[in-house]
Amino acid sequence: MRPFDTLTLMQFLWAFLAILGFSIRVNLKGVKIVYTALSGGLCWVFYLIALYYSNSVLFSVFVSIILVCIYSEIVAPRLRTPVSVFVTCAIIPLVPGRGLFQSMQLYIAGNNIEASQSIMQTLLIAGTISIAIAVVSSATNLLHKMLNRF
Amino acid sequence: MQKLNAKQATELALEVGRILLQSGSATNRVEKMMLKVCAGFGYPNTESFVTPTGIFISLNDTEGDISTSIKRIENRRIDLGKITRVSRLVNCLEEQDCPEGRTNMDARKFREELNQIDVEKTWPTWLLSLCGGATSGFFCLLFGGAWMEFAIAVFIGIVVSYGMKFLSRLSINNFLLNALAAALIVFIAKLLDLYIPYVRLDNIIIGGIMLLVPGLSITNAIRDTMSGDLVSGTARGMEALFITVGVVAGSGSMLKIWALWGF
Repeated sequence: MRPFDTLTLMQFLWAFLAILGFSIRVNLKGVKIVYTALSGGLCWVFYLIALYYSNSVLFSVFVSIILVCIYSEIVAPRLRTPVSVFVTCAIIPLVPGRGLFQSMQLYIAGNNIEASQSIMQTLLIAGTISIAIAVVSSATNLLHKMLNRF
Repeated sequence: MQKLNAKQATELALEVGRILLQSGSATNRVEKMMLKVCAGFGYPNTESFVTPTGIFISLNDTEGDISTSIKRIENRRIDLGKITRVSRLVNCLEEQDCPEGRTNMDARKFREELNQIDVEKTWPTWLLSLCGGATSGFFCLLFGGAWMEFAIAVFIGIVVSYGMKFLSRLSINNFLLNALAAALIVFIAKLLDLYIPYVRLDNIIIGGIMLLVPGLSITNAIRDTMSGDLVSGTARGMEALFITVGVVAGSGSMLKIWALWGF
């Protein structure tokens, strides 16, 4: 799939609407809903684009989570909202629900080798998401400290 | 800014901490907010220690009197709206001039606003369920589902949202709740599959499962660990792991039961 065509736009729309529903489910109100939904949609689109150019799932997850965390760090203070609220909604499309289900199916089918491969992949994606969030939040802390110093 | 006596200040701080922690905030943020409340009402030397299931706070008076309180937290449910509003309120206390014009807030007004946030209504149940349906359906489309599968996933999302509302009223633990919800997803999907031809179950079930994955616990675990709260970081990580295992166990056993049934 080439990036920047109608299919990517449609995928963006699905992710946007899914996170829109999710943010109402966790009881957000007002204009924040649109911005969190936007972060979810952007997260998925960044992932697709990075996947097209790099062909590596983990790298794409890393890049897209970092970009979307930077987006949250910029937008959240403007709306006077904690950053973690934004990050929580933004990472949902990349949380490996599909990998989890597939490894479970393989495991039930008695296909142990493929199942452990799939579990490993799922764990790696979850770990990558954690590392990306940690990198951005630490970098932001450092930046704020340096700005206060000078 | 007036100075309260230690008992009232502790009570206000505990109330702020309770609301934040029950709505699923990171413990690091709860500690910071409670310190801000105490400093705002005249107690700058305060120590607090927060875990996901309890709050410890200790106020240090200038005369050397120390008053300590403990609060046990139960009934946790995700509510990012409350976190936002409490954070705004507490930040107003610190900044003095905020856009909404609440300068020099006194304790009575602070408590009133806090109570208002606490009892504030969430969205109505039908809207929450509809949004559950929308989330599940659009995730199904996102992972490559067709329109028929979208319709089934929306139906499943709505039923599961109502089901979880009902189950959480029975106050069963988190593991069982997620396992039962996942089993319900697989059961309805398999049941509808009998009557509707040419649907792929994978996309539908994955769309439903995305409602249950512990995104908030993962985020909190990372943020807590990075800010040095190793105890709460580990606890949140275990919470995420247990929810995940619950989802997998529930859906897996239902799939196996259905396979043994012989359809």
